[in-house]
Order: sequence, then C-alpha cells, then structure tokens
Amino acid sequence: MDKRIWAIGGGKGGTGKSFVAANLGLHLASLDREVVLIDADLGAPNLHTLLGIKPSHPDLGDFLTGTVPTLEAAAVETPFRNLRLVKGTENILFVANLAHYRKLRLLRQIRQLATSNVILDLGTGSSFNTLDFFLSANPGVVVTTPEPTAIENTYLFLKSCIMRVLKLYMDHYKIRDLHQKMLDQIEKNSQSLYGFFKSLMETDRSYGTILYRALRGFRPCLVMNRTRGEDDVLLGRSVADVVRKYLLIDMKYLGAIPFDEDVPAALRGLRPYYIEHRGSPAARAIRQMSEELAYSIEFTLRTPPEIRLPDV
Amino acid sequence: MLKKIEDWNYYELLSVERTASQDEIWEGYQAALATYRGGSLALYGLVSETERDAILGRIQEAFQTLRDPDKRKEYDLALLRRAPYFPPQAAFRKSVGKLEIEEAPARKTLWDRIKRLFVKNP
Repeated sequence: MDKRIWAIGGGKGGTGKSFVAANLGLHLASLDREVVLIDADLGAPNLHTLLGIKPSHPDLGDFLTGTVPTLEAAAVETPFRNLRLVKGTENILFVANLAHYRKLRLLRQIRQLATSNVILDLGTGSSFNTLDFFLSANPGVVVTTPEPTAIENTYLFLKSCIMRVLKLYMDHYKIRDLHQKMLDQIEKNSQSLYGFFKSLMETDRSYGTILYRALRGFRPCLVMNRTRGEDDVLLGRSVADVVRKYLLIDMKYLGAIPFDEDVPAALRGLRPYYIEHRGSPAARAIRQMSEELAYSIEFTLRTPPEIRLPDV
Repeated sequence: MLKKIEDWNYYELLSVERTASQDEIWEGYQAALATYRGGSLALYGLVSETERDAILGRIQEAFQTLRDPDKRKEYDLALLRRAPYFPPQAAFRKSVGKLEIEEAPARKTLWDRIKRLFVKNP
C-alpha cells in the first residue's frame, strides 16, 4: 500500500502543531482517504480535545505497555468518517521517557498500520524521541509563528534534526569520531555547517559525500501559523530561504494559516475548527496545504532518508 | 551543491532561475531585501549583523547587474564559462515501468497565494 506518513512538529510549544495536525487529518478524511491521527506528543497530549473527543481507552499508553497488542488496536474510530485516532496517554511520567526498544516498536507499527495516511502530532522540544519520529516521516512539517521566540526555536529544532541525521549516519558507517568534531564546529556560527562539510570533504571525500547526501535527503516543510498580514506570510518564505542557504537543507514553504479569532472559540466549545468554519481563510489555507502534501509528485516519488537507529 | 554564501551567484542570492524575467528578478530582489533587512525576524538567532550587512551588499550588487540587460548578458556569459547550465526539468510522473514527461504546470506565484489567503470569498 502506498503509505504517506506526515509528522507535524516544531521547536516551540503553542505554535499550533496539534491544530494543524487535527485539521489536516479532517480535511484529508473528507476527501475519502483513510487517515490515522497519532497523538505522539508524549509529554502533553491533547489532540483528542481538538477533535472534540473525551479521553478514553485504548490509547497510545495501552499499546506501549502491552495492554493492547498492536497500534492498529489502539486506533479508535472517531465521529468523522475515514478518520481514526490513536489518543495520547495520560500516563505522562511513564511515556514521556520512552525506552529505546519501545520507540523502535512504535515506529515499526506506525509503518504497518493498515491505512494510506498517517499523521503524527509531535511534542515540543528536541528530544531524541521527537526528532526520530519527525525524521521517520515524509515530509516532516515544521509549524511556527511570526514571533522571534518561535523562529529561534525553529532553527534550533532544525539544527537538532540535522545533527541527529548526521549522527545516525555516522553511527551506521562507524565514523563516530566525527561526531564530536561536528558538535564543536556547528556551535560556532551560522556558516559552521558549511565549514564542517568543507573540512570533511578535504580530509575524507567519500564520507563527506555520504553525509552530505544524507543531509540533502532531509527535506522538511514549513507552515507559518497565525499570520496577521502579508509581512508575516512573506516571513515564512524568508525563513525557508535562510534555512536553504545557511543550514543546507531543502526546505519547502507550504504556506501560511491566517490568524482567526474563531479558533479559541471552537476549542472552548470542543468542536473541531475545520468542521465548524469550512469557509474561513484559515480552513482554505489548510485545504491547500493538505492537497499539496497529498497530491504533490515530489512527496510521491521521494522516499524518506534511510535511517537506522543504533541499538542501545 | 555545497557552496559558501559568498560563492552564491546572483541568481542564487535572489532565489530566481537563470531564465527569470525582469518581473521575477524584481520580486526576488524584494523578497531578498525583506529577508536581510535590519531587524529581520527571519535571521533571528541564526545570522549575525556583520554577515547580514555583507549579504545585503551582494544583493544590491546582484540586482544592479541583473536589471541591466547588457550587464546581465555579460554576467551570464561569465557564469557559463565557469560551469554549464541546465534549465530546470519539466515535472514528471511514474508510469508503468518508465518515466513520462508531462508538461510542467504553470507555477503559482507567492503573490497569487497571498491574495487568495486574505480574500473573504474568492
């Protein structure tokens, strides 16, 4: 089955990751596509609330603890046709520190889900768990807002992703001594990634080529949420351009979602925003993004970077 | 291709194709100015002021060259002497065991998208 796995992530909390994930899922399901939404925000899950669903069992925690045998069994039906949900667990203390083997099992089961579309709603921050889920998707979508704190954390998140990709490849090819060199160099300045690759190409071209190809295989998308004017929309394009030039990754700007005062009202009323406000500019923007992700040739033919997690 | 920012050519600096029209160059120039202006949010936490000034200088230089047809022709020739140029390929789709070339769809400009976003009833 042709499966698409999208991960919605980003460095900062409160940028609207769960909002984007829920609404992308709702729109895709309305196009007669089978969708499974997974609340992979291990620290603070609330995707079910955005869909107007009360917490119940089975959930992700039940799968991780073995109460239900498969992730498929934890994916419950929702009131929306074609949309199933794997709810986040309330057993936060246990799940936020996900053991390595549990993470591998979860990633494997996500790939085995009997559905054509999987949307992962990720948590805040740059923990290895979050990064690995983000990197396992094609594409990973970074959600940010037009504020300095959000932009700063977006760059930090992307740098963490880059270092994780490179580290996984270094581990795989048993060139671990390069890792410390990379960490030392990347922290120096904005062009340090270029400097790292340049010096690596001079000393060992074959490893340099492998790592550079791995980096170019990581192609996330960007969504600028809660924009209030043209400047904010253009800011998204600028951020993607800066990322391409300075972080050497091919970032695609999916577009902007305009600020809408109806979003908090829909949330307070426990009603999904997309269902209530289909004609709003924000819903239109979500439709456009969803269709671009779903039908783009780019994402059909592109395979995610092959990442092998090291055995711990 | 791995390149230092200082080595980016004028087209790469303005994020436009080598076949870009004057309008596209103007649009690319405006976008680049918005990205690298003083206090730009897009550079927050990543690019220092000194680096920003240097890039902004090169952007001005790029626009001055590309807006003038004679200077642009001369610059294009200089670029071609350094490396061959292959225009972007048409979109393609996977067919039964072979790749079929499709006519590339007209690309929507960012301005078209922005207009759509802020219109109540398009």
